[in-house]
Amino acid sequence: MPQNFFYQEKGLFLQSLHPAASLTLIAAFFLLALCFSHPLYLLGLLLVILFSLWAADGLAAWESYLKAVLWLGLLIMLINALVNHSGSTILWRSPALPLLGQLSVSMEAISYGAAMGVRLLDVVSAFCLFNLIVHPDRFFSLFSTFARKSSLVVSLATRLFPLLLATLGQIREAQQLRGVDFSRGSLRERTVKNAALFNILLLSALEDSLQMAEAMQARAFGSGPRSRYRRDLFRPRDGICLAGVGFSLVAAAYNLARDLGSYTYFPQLGSLWGGNFSMIALAAVLLGLSLPALLSWGCNHWPYLKWKI
Amino acid sequence: MEKWKFPLFFLLVTGLLAFSIIADSPVKLNWSLLSAGIVGAAIIFLFRGFEQSPASTREIAVIAVLGAVAALGRVSLSALPNIQPVTFLVIVSGYVFGARTGFMVGSTAALASNFFLGQGPWTPWQMFAWGLAGASAAYFRAVFPGAGKWALALFQFTWGYLFGCMMNIWTWTAFIHPLSWQSFLATWAASLWFDSLHALGNVFFYLFFGGSVIKILNRVQKKIAVSRLPVQNIPPSNNHHYKTN
Repeated sequence: MPQNFFYQEKGLFLQSLHPAASLTLIAAFFLLALCFSHPLYLLGLLLVILFSLWAADGLAAWESYLKAVLWLGLLIMLINALVNHSGSTILWRSPALPLLGQLSVSMEAISYGAAMGVRLLDVVSAFCLFNLIVHPDRFFSLFSTFARKSSLVVSLATRLFPLLLATLGQIREAQQLRGVDFSRGSLRERTVKNAALFNILLLSALEDSLQMAEAMQARAFGSGPRSRYRRDLFRPRDGICLAGVGFSLVAAAYNLARDLGSYTYFPQLGSLWGGNFSMIALAAVLLGLSLPALLSWGCNHWPYLKWKI
Repeated sequence: MEKWKFPLFFLLVTGLLAFSIIADSPVKLNWSLLSAGIVGAAIIFLFRGFEQSPASTREIAVIAVLGAVAALGRVSLSALPNIQPVTFLVIVSGYVFGARTGFMVGSTAALASNFFLGQGPWTPWQMFAWGLAGASAAYFRAVFPGAGKWALALFQFTWGYLFGCMMNIWTWTAFIHPLSWQSFLATWAASLWFDSLHALGNVFFYLFFGGSVIKILNRVQKKIAVSRLPVQNIPPSNNHHYKTN
């Protein structure tokens, strides 16, 4: 069972970014993955996210994500292939089936399903990057400026998690010392034993919560405007990354306005290349988004740059 | 202005949805973005409601603890396919403490547990769906105040499927073409066995833990409830006991 955050502090360049800059980068990846439907744009985006994951030393973590969403990706391809009948290049027709009628699978529907599989990978990989470069506490610290109570609640719950896990272990040990054997008995008996464990945990945790509330009140929580300690610095590296993401978003908006990021799947597949200008426009979008990963690479090889930004 | 916020938000969302289904609308709305945007806006709107509420320190601490317990249950049973006590605990919390607490416990449990399991595009949808499960339990209690054990078990069972339905909306809008009833049913059918396990798990947890957990939560609810007595003007007494001669 995971006992620690998915995030692991490794002192990487991308982890040192201001949470606002990191979140803007992730949001841009997410937004563009949903806006673009051109297969080359989606693939390009995936390459940039993988480059960023490599810079965040997260390719191993990405593999675990890949395993988790593999079935969903396959399902998306299968459903698209079966429910979409707009394609004109029919590859296979099923015999007449009861209730469903005759099913047909077209090359266009398979291509669309494959492109959506890449879109899924884009979105999931972007969130994987979020897990690797944004510390939960820094995330809450960002939101505590305008959502004080909500961020406090979520941050408290996150902090209480390991504490409750330790309490659960203690309660289990105390029960075992009293002769309760959790591994013996029928399924019903074991469930009753574990139910008792859960009830004790809930009861003691809620009792503790009242004490926690009193401690917060004793420290003057809620007695006036909240003071806060800001640790996150906004450095030149954050400005450069934000400028890169901003440039990409402007370029992407231009592409979408000129219909360059979209692609005709039905009734027949359009040309994949779409002209030299389309590829230059794509390169501009990807260049801006890969700036944080490029800076990370630069800082690893050039200490002067790291010192300067 | 305060009382118009909800109707305005509701009008905006329904307006956007209505605009998006007009076949020849001048602006082509991307449904995957629209659905994600609506869910994001709803979460922000409901969190804002919590920010402006007079939630006491005790309420904040209790929500955090319930969220953490639900998250612990989810993470500890993450190896089982979709059998998790979060929905059960969130519904029971909303049933006892009310809609606001129910929503916050649900969304907190989703966000906090995903910091350990891994955040994904599913996080906002889980926050929204679990939050609604908690809030709806309070309305369920208000509409059926005398609902018995089996009625609540049926409510828990239904939420197993409703949760899956909400989670499917994003998969459907973002990755499936065309967006029709047939394609939505196909997406839902693919997750049906998964949702059935969720629904059965909810009923199982409720039947085994429900009675004792509701008892514990009721006890805490009495402890954190603050009742304010109206200030009374005590008329000056006419008997002057300490009259000096």
